Amino acid sequence: MDDRRRRFEAQALPHLDAAYNLARWLSRSPVEADDIVQDAMLRAFRAFDGFRGGDIKAWLLTIVRNCWLSAGKATRRRGHTSLEDEELTAPESDPEATAIQSGAKRRLDAMIAQLPEEFREVLILREMEDMSYREIAEVTGAPIGTVMSRLARARATLRETARDCL
Amino acid sequence: MSCKEALQTQAYLDGELKGAEAAAVERHLETCAECQALAADAADLSDALRNATHYRAPDPLRHRLKKELEREVRHSPARRFWQGAASGVGASALAAGFALFVLLPPSAATLSQSIVDAHSAALTGGKTIMVASSNHHTVKPWLAAHAGISPPVTDFADQGFTLTGGRTDEVAGSRAAVAVYAHGNHEVDLFAWPANGAQLPEAGIARGFRMAFWKSGDLNYAAVSDVDAVAFQKFVALVKAQRE
Repeated sequence: MDDRRRRFEAQALPHLDAAYNLARWLSRSPVEADDIVQDAMLRAFRAFDGFRGGDIKAWLLTIVRNCWLSAGKATRRRGHTSLEDEELTAPESDPEATAIQSGAKRRLDAMIAQLPEEFREVLILREMEDMSYREIAEVTGAPIGTVMSRLARARATLRETARDCL
Repeated sequence: MSCKEALQTQAYLDGELKGAEAAAVERHLETCAECQALAADAADLSDALRNATHYRAPDPLRHRLKKELEREVRHSPARRFWQGAASGVGASALAAGFALFVLLPPSAATLSQSIVDAHSAALTGGKTIMVASSNHHTVKPWLAAHAGISPPVTDFADQGFTLTGGRTDEVAGSRAAVAVYAHGNHEVDLFAWPANGAQLPEAGIARGFRMAFWKSGDLNYAAVSDVDAVAFQKFVALVKAQRE
């Protein structure tokens, strides 16, 4: 196998789930998440020679976020509507035994999905990807102070929604 | 929130503060009811969010991606040369990586690189565990038999780090025993290999993974994971404490 590809696969592929998780939560659509991640990984591979060390996870997630932004613009131009919230409207077909647990999980997922984008992304990066403020600032292109206040707002919003819902 | 220290308290809870800054927040927390509530809420929320969906890349996407990457390099002039050297991401990539390392005396940088390579190659290849067991009475003898190294192995499930198994691996050309732990959705690898006098690297982050190195007895140890800083330090402290 090509050396560059070997290095890329060894370094980047361990973060594929993180890339997909971010794309999935940002786009709120499995179809779009697939396209975003594929696009992002190929762009990353082409740009890999320009990657000079540092944090590859943050670097990859930055590319994922950029791909999501440009995909969003293209979708809006074509006048398509987002596939968002499909799981919110999905019929409740789960077996009774798991209904309560999965119902709570679904409500929790729905609450996160409904957060405004700028809150949602910092929350996902911090709570699910365990990234530091500096890394989140790198991925989102926002100053650290902004990351901190968005994170606080995201958490406060989620807590209030949870109090009403759960 | 109205306390002007709230963001600083949040930063403390997120493991962003050290030393004097952390101590200042701890003092503040003793008296500020609002920040105490914030701390309790933050812990509840973090627990709740553990149950939210952590999406994983679907297999068809993984396969498509591999094909696309292959297409990208199809016309590369270097391809033929490397084709024979390594044909998979897992074991052979690992072998190709280590072929390079054994030629060099392991420097601190090499060790650090080697640990991250081994950890990420295991994650990528899905081969993190060769013996699956949460029982240290199973993992420890398995490691002794297969790696020739018998580090202490303890299950820290009560502290949030569940022993899930072990494997053998290589660190800069040395055979290493690896105890594998789960923390939420994250994996923590604890490497142990014979101390050979090589200088150990400083703790740090490489390619998104946190690492810490130390020597105890005649073994070198390295912990590596993508968990957050607080959890990582807790894990390292637990492991170091078990040896005393």
